[in-house]
Amino acid sequence: MGLERLGWLADTALGHWVVSSAAIWPTLECIHFVSLCFFMGGMLMIDLRLTGFFRDPCAGLINRLLGLVIGAFLVNFTTGALFFAGNATKYIDNPAFELKLSLMVLAGLNALYFKFRLAHLLATEEVTGDSKFVGYFSLLLWAGVIVCGRMITFFAR
Amino acid sequence: MNFLRILESTAFSEWVLTSMLGFPTMIAVHSIGMAVAAGLTIMVTLYLYRFAAGIDQAKLPGILRIATWGFILNLVTGLILFVPRGTEYLANVTFLVKMLLVLISAAILVWLKSHVTQLAGESVDVCSSVPARRLSLLSSATWIGAIVTGRLIAYLGSVY
Repeated sequence: MGLERLGWLADTALGHWVVSSAAIWPTLECIHFVSLCFFMGGMLMIDLRLTGFFRDPCAGLINRLLGLVIGAFLVNFTTGALFFAGNATKYIDNPAFELKLSLMVLAGLNALYFKFRLAHLLATEEVTGDSKFVGYFSLLLWAGVIVCGRMITFFAR
Repeated sequence: MNFLRILESTAFSEWVLTSMLGFPTMIAVHSIGMAVAAGLTIMVTLYLYRFAAGIDQAKLPGILRIATWGFILNLVTGLILFVPRGTEYLANVTFLVKMLLVLISAAILVWLKSHVTQLAGESVDVCSSVPARRLSLLSSATWIGAIVTGRLIAYLGSVY
């Protein structure tokens, strides 16, 4: 996947900082998992609306939740990037990590499709085949991201 | 303790520790259950504090039902992960604190589901229920505490 080109990150001050104390890695893990819960909670609410679990016109709610979801994702992504910087060899050539990144890209494309093609539905009670597909696909992709994330340790070289 | 040692020596425990479908898969599903249960509890708390207003309160029991299924997934996989190392876990204070926090979260989830269902059925504004708001906030906090202590088990004890 070309991730080996990022191996130099482990030799940066940031990479050294992540592993410089026994407290930093566990603290980052705690932040990573708590932000995951905020992210998944918000995503679940959005996906439940898209799949028709509830059909209330709730564009305002979804916009507020999107702010929360994006914020939680940024925290999650930043802590994930710090893990990579601190222990790049664990992630390079790791099929679980590569699959996780691929699923995240797909989930991002799915979210963009929602943003540009389906967001208008949220002001109505309408649920379409498209919105159901995007909602269920999103749930599947993010579940896959979590599974692959937990599998990284077991596929590390 | 003897019972736990017997469980640890079973073929099932051996399978959990050695198979890819054992520990790795169970810990992955455990995380999904956690994200669903804790994530949706936090969303319901935000709803009760009117941050997430915009959906009919009659949908809240359904959302809490999904959170409960997330917790059940979390519980079942947690038990499977516990069986091969039960004695070590019980000697780990961080694990015991996590269990206490999970117990509080689960008890509040069950109460909240019943309370919200009752209020929604009576067409009473659930957001005006002070016990529902305070306990859901406590439940969100104990979920976060359980996640943090869960992560720290590996660092503050000898398990895994």
